Amino acid sequence: MTRPSLYPYATILPVMLVVAVFTVYPLLHSVYLSVHENVLTRPLDNDFVGLQNFREVVGGYYFWRSLWSTAVFAVMAVAAVTLYGLGVALLLNQPGVLGSTLLKVVVLLPWAIPSVISGIIWRWIFDGDYGVLNGLLLATGVVERYVPWMSQPFTARLCMVIAHVWKQGPLAAVFLLAALQIIPAELYDAVRMDGAGRWNAFRFVTVPYLKATLALVLIYETIVAVATFDLVYVMTGGGPADATAIIGWYAYTEIFRFLNLGRGAALAIILGLLLLGLVMIYLRLLRSEEAA
Amino acid sequence: MTHVARWLVVLSLAVSLVEPALAQAPGVTLNLVSWSYGVEIVRDNIAKFQQKYPGVTVNYSDFSWATYHDAMVARFVSKTPTDVLYSSDHWLQEWAAAGWIVPIDEAFPQVRQYLTEYSPFVREALTYKGRIYGTPYYADTFIFVYNADHVQRAGFAGPPTSLEELTKQAEAIKAKGIADFPLVFGWGQQDPFSIESFTALVFAQKNGSLFDKDGNAVFKNPGSAAEKVVTWAAEALGPKKILSPTSLQATNNDAIKALQAGAASFGLIPSYSLAVLNDPGQTQQAGKFKIGLMPGESRATVGFIRFYAITSQAPRRGKDVMTAAWNFLDYFGGKTDGEYRVTKRWSLEKGLGFAQTALFADKDIRAAFGKWADVDMLQKQAQLARAKEGMTPYYGTWDVFSRAELHKAYLGQQKPADTLAAMAKKWEELKAKAK
Repeated sequence: MTRPSLYPYATILPVMLVVAVFTVYPLLHSVYLSVHENVLTRPLDNDFVGLQNFREVVGGYYFWRSLWSTAVFAVMAVAAVTLYGLGVALLLNQPGVLGSTLLKVVVLLPWAIPSVISGIIWRWIFDGDYGVLNGLLLATGVVERYVPWMSQPFTARLCMVIAHVWKQGPLAAVFLLAALQIIPAELYDAVRMDGAGRWNAFRFVTVPYLKATLALVLIYETIVAVATFDLVYVMTGGGPADATAIIGWYAYTEIFRFLNLGRGAALAIILGLLLLGLVMIYLRLLRSEEAA
Repeated sequence: MTHVARWLVVLSLAVSLVEPALAQAPGVTLNLVSWSYGVEIVRDNIAKFQQKYPGVTVNYSDFSWATYHDAMVARFVSKTPTDVLYSSDHWLQEWAAAGWIVPIDEAFPQVRQYLTEYSPFVREALTYKGRIYGTPYYADTFIFVYNADHVQRAGFAGPPTSLEELTKQAEAIKAKGIADFPLVFGWGQQDPFSIESFTALVFAQKNGSLFDKDGNAVFKNPGSAAEKVVTWAAEALGPKKILSPTSLQATNNDAIKALQAGAASFGLIPSYSLAVLNDPGQTQQAGKFKIGLMPGESRATVGFIRFYAITSQAPRRGKDVMTAAWNFLDYFGGKTDGEYRVTKRWSLEKGLGFAQTALFADKDIRAAFGKWADVDMLQKQAQLARAKEGMTPYYGTWDVFSRAELHKAYLGQQKPADTLAAMAKKWEELKAKAK
C-alpha cells in the first residue's frame, strides 16, 4: 500500500511523465539544438556554437521580413476575426432571429473543419483560373476577367485573412455569445428608460460587460494568428515573393527545406518567447479585470 | 470447466499465438515511398515484381509531388522505415550528403552496364562524387509548347524562335483577343518544377549558363542569359501583360489546365505533359499543341531525371534487404528479360520520357508518342538537353530561396540585377558554409 506521504506524488506522476516526455524533453532538446551546429547535409558537424544560430536568424533577411508579414497578417486577421465574431454573436443574441438554433450550428461548422481542409477549399475558391469566386464575380459583372487573387502580395494576404476568419471566427462568436447571454436584461431596460438608443445601450452596457471576453478573444486570436502555419502551407507556399511567408512558415522552411535544424530550433524558441509574452499580457489583463 | 474444455482453451490460445508467425512467410519486406503519380500503375508493377520475387513484399505509400521533399526529410529524420524511394536530381546531392541515400555501384556494380545506354545528362544527374545512386524512373526534358491554332489565327506561320519573337507573337494573340494572357508557366513558389523551367529558358539563350564548371554563379554577370530571361519575364508580366499573373501561384499542373482550357497559347512543360495536352478525352484543344524548339539562340533546354534510390536504412537491415532493394531498382529502372519493361510501360501509358536514348527507335514508343507529339522534334529537343548546373548539397536550399527572389523581380519589387545579385550572394554564402 502506498504510504500517505507519497500518495500526492504517485497521483500526479502519470501527468508529470506525460508533460516531461511531450513538453519538457522536446523543449530542452530544442534548446540543445539551437546552440549547436546542426545542418542535416553536414551530419558530422555538431559543434557547440553558443548563440550563433540566434544571431544568424535575427540578422538574416528572412527574420525581419517574416516578422513584418506576421505583424501585417496578425493585425488584419485579429481585427477581422473579432469584428466577425462580435457581429455574429450580436445577431445570434437577438431574441427574434428566425432559426437561430440552426444558425448557431451553421456558424460553428467551419471551426470543426480541419485547417488543412479549409485551406484547400479556399485555395480552390480563390484560384485565378477556375476559382468559384471569379466565376461568381464574372457572372454578376463585378469583374471583366478572372482575377489572380493569390498572385499579388496584398490580395494573397487578404485571401489568407479571409480563410483564417472563416475558420477562427466561429470560436470568437461562441465566446462572445456566451458573454452576451449573461448580461442582465434589466440593465438594457434601465438604459432604455433613461432614453438611451441602441448605440448607447451597446456602448454603456454591452461593451463593459464584454471587455474581459474581448480581451481574451483578442489575445487568443493574436496567438493563433502569429502561430499560423497550415494555411500558408496549403494555400500559398509563402508566395508570391514571400509575401505570405509568416514566421511559422519561416521556421518550417528553415528546418524542412534549408535543413538547418539549429537555426530552425533557434527560430522556434524566439517564436515561443514571443507567444509567451503575449500570454503574459493576456494573464495580466485578465487579472486586472478581475481586480476591477 | 471440464478437463477437456480447459485443454481446448489452452490449445486455441496456442494456435492464436502461433498462427501469425506461420502466416508471415520468411522473406523480406521493402518499404517503398513515391510521389503520387500513376499510383495504379505503380501498384500493378509492384504486384508483378512480387510475382517475380515471391520472397519480397512491398509496403507502398505515396505523397504529393509538391510536398514530397519535405515529407521525405521528415521520414529520414524520424527514421520512419523507408528502404527504396523515388528521388530527383534536385535532391540527390542533398540526400547523399546527409547520408539518407546510399550509392549502389559498389554493392551492385552491374548497374554500370546500363550507363552507356543513358543520355549524357542522365549519367551526370545520377552521379554524386563519382558514385551512382540509382536507376532511372524516367528522364525528361522541358519543352516549349504552343497552340498552333492560336499562332496561326494571329497570323504567324510557325512558332517563335527567340524571346523577342515570342513577345511579338504573344502581343499579337492578345491584341486579336485570342487569349488575354498568351503565356503561362508553373512558377508558383511551392512547385519544385519552377526552377527547372526557369533554367530551361536560361539554357536556351546565348551563353546560357547559371554556373561555371567550378560552381561559380555566372548568372549575376551583367548581360548574362539569366538577366535577359528575368528582364523579359518581368516585362511580360508587368507592362506587356502577356504572361498570366496566375503563373506566380501555378504549379505545372495548373499551367497545363490553363493551356487545356485555351486560356493560354504558350507554355514550358515537361515533355510528358504534352500527352495530356493533346488527349482528346481531356480537352477540346487536343491536337493543337505542338513542340517548338526552345526560344533562344542555342535552343537548348534542361534535362532532368527522377530515379529509384536506396536509403541508408536498407543496408542496416541486412544483406537480404539490400539484395531485394537492388532487385527492385533493377526491375523498375533496369532490364527484365532483356527489355526495359517498366520504363517502356510508363512511356506507352503515360508518355513519360526515358533515360535510354535507344528507346527513341522503339516502334511501340514511336507509335504511342506519335499520337500526341512529333517524335523527331521531341528527340531533337532531347538531344539539346543539358543537366542542371550547380548540383551540390545546397542546391535545394538555393532553389527555394531563389524562387521568392525571382518573384520579386517578376512583380517589379526589385530590379532583375538585384534579384540575381541576391541569388548569387545566397549561393556564395551556402558554398562558404559547405567548405
